Amino acid sequence: MNEITCQALPEVDFASVRRIDGLDEISANYAPYLADESKLAHQGADYLFFPTNEAELAAIMREMNKRGANVTISGARTGLVGGCVPAGGAVVAMDRFDKTMDIRWDDETNEWRVTAEAAVTLKDLNDWANKKNFPGLQARASDETLAQLEQYKNDPRSFFYPPDPTEMSASLGGTVATNASGAASYKYKDTRNWIRRLHVILASGEMLDIPRGKYFATDERKFTIIDTAGNRTTLNLPGYDMPKTKNTAGFFAAPGMDMIDLFIGSEGLFGVVSQIEVALDQMHDGISVVQFLPSDTAALDFVVALREEADFAPDFLEFYDGNALALLRAKQIDNPKFIDMPPIPADAGAAIFYDIGFNPDDPDPDFSKLKEVTARCGSSLANTWAGYERRDLARFRHFRHALPESVNAVIGERKKTYPGLHKLGTDLAVPNKALREIWGFYRSKLDTAGLEWVAFGHIGDNHFHVNILPKDMDDLAKGLAIYVDFAKKAVELGGTVSAEHGVGKMKKKFLSVMYTPEQMDEMKALKLALDPKAMFNPGDILDFEGAAR
Amino acid sequence: MKILVCAKQVPEVTNVQVDPETGTLNRDGVASILNPFCEYAMDLALEMKEAEPEGEVEIVVLSMGPPQARAALLRCLEMGGDSAILVTDRKFAGADTWATALTICKIIEKLDGVDLILVGKHAIDGDTAQTGPMLAELLSIPQITYGVGLEMDEKKKRVRVRRENEGGFEKVQMRLPGLVSVSKGAASRRVCSFESILGARAKDISVMTADDLGLDEAELGLQGSLTQVVKVFPPISKEAGRIVNGTDANAAAHEVVGILKEKHFV
Repeated sequence: MNEITCQALPEVDFASVRRIDGLDEISANYAPYLADESKLAHQGADYLFFPTNEAELAAIMREMNKRGANVTISGARTGLVGGCVPAGGAVVAMDRFDKTMDIRWDDETNEWRVTAEAAVTLKDLNDWANKKNFPGLQARASDETLAQLEQYKNDPRSFFYPPDPTEMSASLGGTVATNASGAASYKYKDTRNWIRRLHVILASGEMLDIPRGKYFATDERKFTIIDTAGNRTTLNLPGYDMPKTKNTAGFFAAPGMDMIDLFIGSEGLFGVVSQIEVALDQMHDGISVVQFLPSDTAALDFVVALREEADFAPDFLEFYDGNALALLRAKQIDNPKFIDMPPIPADAGAAIFYDIGFNPDDPDPDFSKLKEVTARCGSSLANTWAGYERRDLARFRHFRHALPESVNAVIGERKKTYPGLHKLGTDLAVPNKALREIWGFYRSKLDTAGLEWVAFGHIGDNHFHVNILPKDMDDLAKGLAIYVDFAKKAVELGGTVSAEHGVGKMKKKFLSVMYTPEQMDEMKALKLALDPKAMFNPGDILDFEGAAR
Repeated sequence: MKILVCAKQVPEVTNVQVDPETGTLNRDGVASILNPFCEYAMDLALEMKEAEPEGEVEIVVLSMGPPQARAALLRCLEMGGDSAILVTDRKFAGADTWATALTICKIIEKLDGVDLILVGKHAIDGDTAQTGPMLAELLSIPQITYGVGLEMDEKKKRVRVRRENEGGFEKVQMRLPGLVSVSKGAASRRVCSFESILGARAKDISVMTADDLGLDEAELGLQGSLTQVVKVFPPISKEAGRIVNGTDANAAAHEVVGILKEKHFV
């Protein structure tokens, strides 16, 4: 079926929705709603809304639509590309959509599913799923849900929600909007893979209830939306092919695609995601390992060998190049408690951090293949840090944060002299076969330019974060020029300009590296079919003519 | 040289809640870990081992507890311990610090040539810090508490211990055999290598029970305990204080006086 019918929500008086008026008041008392982790400057906001349910959300959309005002959706504001930073009009804070609504076992897919509102954080969802206690659910739940909850509590297995974009204070809604991924997507894929149903409030104030597996595009890439008055709108999906990598650049489009995938990763340009059904996965025992290797070449060899030969699948493969290790060593001398790890071996030229399944009670675990691969790459399992207790896993997780935080600290210090300075972090990914080529390209360009840089990140998905650390404004200009070269090269190799951070306001300029003007027009046409006044999230991804757009 | 490290398995107490009604610990979802101070004791033992030629120092780890305490011993073997002894028997259940020290004392008397005993200064669940010193007294050997650094003399007859005191540190020398209870000092937790984690699974963990001790049952477990836990309760939390804000000292002083009057302090 490629046709979906909108649902009407109960009428609510717009005036009854909690609202803060005027930029002065918002700036004075609600400043966090004007920014996100990108630290991008806002362009003002006239209203800040705090709706508590879908009917109130719909009332806001109807009224803003009538007034011709823009609407920026504000989730947990952990994004890095300015998606939540308002560009005039209204900010709709989703904070109060913080409840779980349902839990149920799905016989067809053999999985537990949780329905939660958009502002539930990944941390809370995982805590609740792990402790098998969803606050407030019992009071809200039907008898059927209560019975399912009891069954869930009695299930002897432990469960979790796999998408892990590192920042676990991210909201479920935000991660759907951006199709968040992160390190563990090497094994668990991106957010899309775990979403089973969405509620989306459209600009008209009507709602789409989209389960996975029900609405599919035609072979000609078309959907039809029928509103409650019976009016039909045809959605023509863009004709481009998606890159064969992790990707958040451009709307998801493919012949015969599931409609739910159109909204996942659309960065809120089509509507507001209010409620989400996700699948949980069973937890398994695992061990975290940091494998030190003699050089970045050896590290790449190790990754390729693990991908192609190993008889086990790591949850993730994270890379630290020699410069990254040097920065961490300096930090260890400066503030050992911050890193909270033994000294990084002096002879380590790179490291690969991975998690794999490990049963501590197995008296004779067999990792002979891993030993063989490691030896071939010039190292050994003795040259590792490893831990499997929960506190160890938390400690290793902390270590994973240490590098980006160290980079931010360096930039923070340099900003005191050059306030306009900022770090340049790439978010490019390429297909497996291009791993060595893109790495060679990065290295030669960066070293030739004489810039200070570190590289780390999700090497399992060929997705490095190259961070350029400019020392002054000249370095920044050089770095910006190189970034464009990198983006072009990644696309040339069949990759993407944005693998996981999204496009938002900050990476729009790279979209034209990846898509032709005609493809950009297709995206715009799709946006306007769903949101005719381009009301949602102005300034994100696409630019439209007209005031404040 | 043989070093014996005493290790205890404890709940990861930062996560334990006490049921206010029953006074019992709610251990749902709480991990069991090697007591951190026992881990620091292991750390000092390993430093000594690493400082000596290979094969000179043997580290034996001992733990008294339920069968699952094996995991704490395994952790010590992963860190670099050579072998381990699990002392486990239902007859040991409910042992207080005295009954525990007596049981461990009898085990040590059966081991050959232990030169140095290292214990954590206390376990983070009971917090008594008694078992180590009691053990030294029962064995009639010298002891140094709050050790954070160890150094062997050239003749391997004495050990110099850097120990914490209230004003800072002091160095104390002790003849061997002896016992040192170990504090945290500047140590940060060791990280094992994957190879040592895998290798630990091939190391020997022997099991000893009450029958191996030659003690009367009346001296074991709850029966042999001189103390009993009457009640467990969480510490009473203090109410948050009130902070008088503002830069006007006169107004702030008036407000403080007002509060004191309101509470009938003045």
